[in-house]
Amino acid sequence: MKKIILVGKPNCGKSLLFNQLTGLRQKVANFPGVTVELKSGQFKQFEVVDFPGTYSLQTLSRDEEIAISKLHESLLDDDTALMVCVLDATRLERSLVFGLQVQQLAKKHNKAVVFVLNMIDEVQRYGLKIDTDGLQQALGSPVFALSAKALVGLAEFQQALPELADNPQQHIPDISEETTQLNVLQQAKTLGQTYGINVDVMLKKQNRIDNFLLNNVFGGLAFLFIMFFLFQSVFTWANPLMDGVEALVGELAAVVTSFTGEGIVTDFLNDAIFGGVGAFITFVPQIMVLTLIIGLLEDSGYLARAALICHKPLSYFGLSGRSFIPYLSGHACAIPAIMAARTIESPRKRLITMMTIPLMSCSARLPVYALLIAVLIPEDHTVLGIFNLQGVTFFGLYLFGILMALVVSIVMKHALPQQDDKSDMPFILELPTYRLPHWKPLSQRVLNSGKQFIKRAAPVIFVVSVVIWFLGYFPQGGGLQNSWLGTIGHVIEPVFAPLGLDWRYGVAILMSFAAREVFVGALGTMLGIDGADENIGGLAAQIQADGLALGAGIGLLLFYVVALQCVATVAVLRAETGKSRIAWGLFALYGVLAYFIAMTTYQIIG
Amino acid sequence: MTLWDIKVKQIAQIHSLSSMLSSAVSQRLDEMGFNPGQNVICLRRSPLKGPVVVQIGDSVYSLEQNVANKIQLA
Repeated sequence: MKKIILVGKPNCGKSLLFNQLTGLRQKVANFPGVTVELKSGQFKQFEVVDFPGTYSLQTLSRDEEIAISKLHESLLDDDTALMVCVLDATRLERSLVFGLQVQQLAKKHNKAVVFVLNMIDEVQRYGLKIDTDGLQQALGSPVFALSAKALVGLAEFQQALPELADNPQQHIPDISEETTQLNVLQQAKTLGQTYGINVDVMLKKQNRIDNFLLNNVFGGLAFLFIMFFLFQSVFTWANPLMDGVEALVGELAAVVTSFTGEGIVTDFLNDAIFGGVGAFITFVPQIMVLTLIIGLLEDSGYLARAALICHKPLSYFGLSGRSFIPYLSGHACAIPAIMAARTIESPRKRLITMMTIPLMSCSARLPVYALLIAVLIPEDHTVLGIFNLQGVTFFGLYLFGILMALVVSIVMKHALPQQDDKSDMPFILELPTYRLPHWKPLSQRVLNSGKQFIKRAAPVIFVVSVVIWFLGYFPQGGGLQNSWLGTIGHVIEPVFAPLGLDWRYGVAILMSFAAREVFVGALGTMLGIDGADENIGGLAAQIQADGLALGAGIGLLLFYVVALQCVATVAVLRAETGKSRIAWGLFALYGVLAYFIAMTTYQIIG
Repeated sequence: MTLWDIKVKQIAQIHSLSSMLSSAVSQRLDEMGFNPGQNVICLRRSPLKGPVVVQIGDSVYSLEQNVANKIQLA
């Protein structure tokens, strides 16, 4: 199939144009360790490939390097018929710096190029006009003025595109090949001054909004409000959706197991498949809701402002302003948070952010916290007469996670070797125009986030669920206590003894490596309480009667704050960093750290 | 004087980019419009020596201290 390549600067509306051309069916190709995504879809008889927005062909980061090398690759491909370079009509000069570079590249490879002057509706809204014909003459390549959002000129472009792509040899840019960087800048400036619009009106409007949103007082309040909204949405409003998915998985389990009858097959399906993998699927809505909110923030232009506000305070810890949202999201679930770290401009800061996100107290830890707090902290105690001690402990655990993350960040800031220039990118951020987000690219993004989550985490969750089920189920008949897992628990009891925990806790901890919340149900089984997930109070009373030392309990709580007991997170870390070494190294590091913290706590408090 | 010393609403002219900047960063700044002779307006400063926000040509950028103080103003 012949290919049409879509390139352009960030914030030029390229994604929307891609969606308008290809509809809602698209494929996303990822490359390990970098944020580069190549989206492809079909337009008539052509394959359209959407390249990531880039400022220049001269790369600054590794991500850009890979994006540009992919671009070079596809230009060598005989199937590539045409390059479509999207320009921002409201920022002609800046878009043309990249546009002219692309034109030269096309010329070098003997490929056709056409320009799209996008967002022409915004130009028209200010009663201004762009001389498209003149620009076309001056550029020596076809120019189409259109708005992918307001649907102005889009139909004409769609009609012309097949003809252009079928006769590429007629649209190879008519320019001399040897143009220097200085010439590109000069030419962009001249063209921008001749054909571009005066942007003062637009920038004035943008500046007025910024006067509010970046104001030291109101801006701070607006920031807190927006972040509270984000937190609420993933934490509370995603809940009905998660419950819905859980109910659906339950229904499906009931239907399927009604065919398999009693026995080992049903037990396997119920516990390993629907219990293990099914529980993980319930996180999908939360991830999609989070992606939606972050997408709204990014497409509206606010995300850049939020990064600006957070940049200085976070830079003390070796983090970027763009680390804030991933950190906040990490309190819901580490997986979308790690994926959200893609927006961080500096690969080094992105790595530090991703490596510390697992220390945020995610929602899977909540049942564990709730159980142990109910066991250890009396309900009627207050601090300073107003704050409930249980609530304060909860808050303290969250705070402990954040503090640990900041400490680890500082350590990594000094420990990670500064490599070459490409490993770090200074904070140079464009503040884009505020725009109303369009639902098409957003919905694509939301769907993709769910798909990617399943693709990356499901296989490993499946394997671990099956292994844990197997070890806990056999030999048959003796229950969990006498299973292989129980045997392993007895064997490794000495490991847990310095933490003040016996083998039953050891088994529950081992089982929670698939997902932390499994701890509650597993401990319930060990202590003879069925359905402990719904009966935390009953299990807490049972643990109290059974006896758990205060130091051991608090140590266990801190263990759960620090330990990276989530194979799905390890899998996503591996995919996003591109290195197994980092993912499993962190798993071991946080495990050892958690162990020593728990041991020290038990030794001190007793 | 560098771009880091600019005050809110002040208009200045870019003189040069310091050789302390890596060539890749220099080139990017060049492409973003930080060219000698170009006018730049400071739109806002952030508290605690946070990034400075400037308008240059048709775009608005925010730069942190260790970049802004390597852009010389005329």
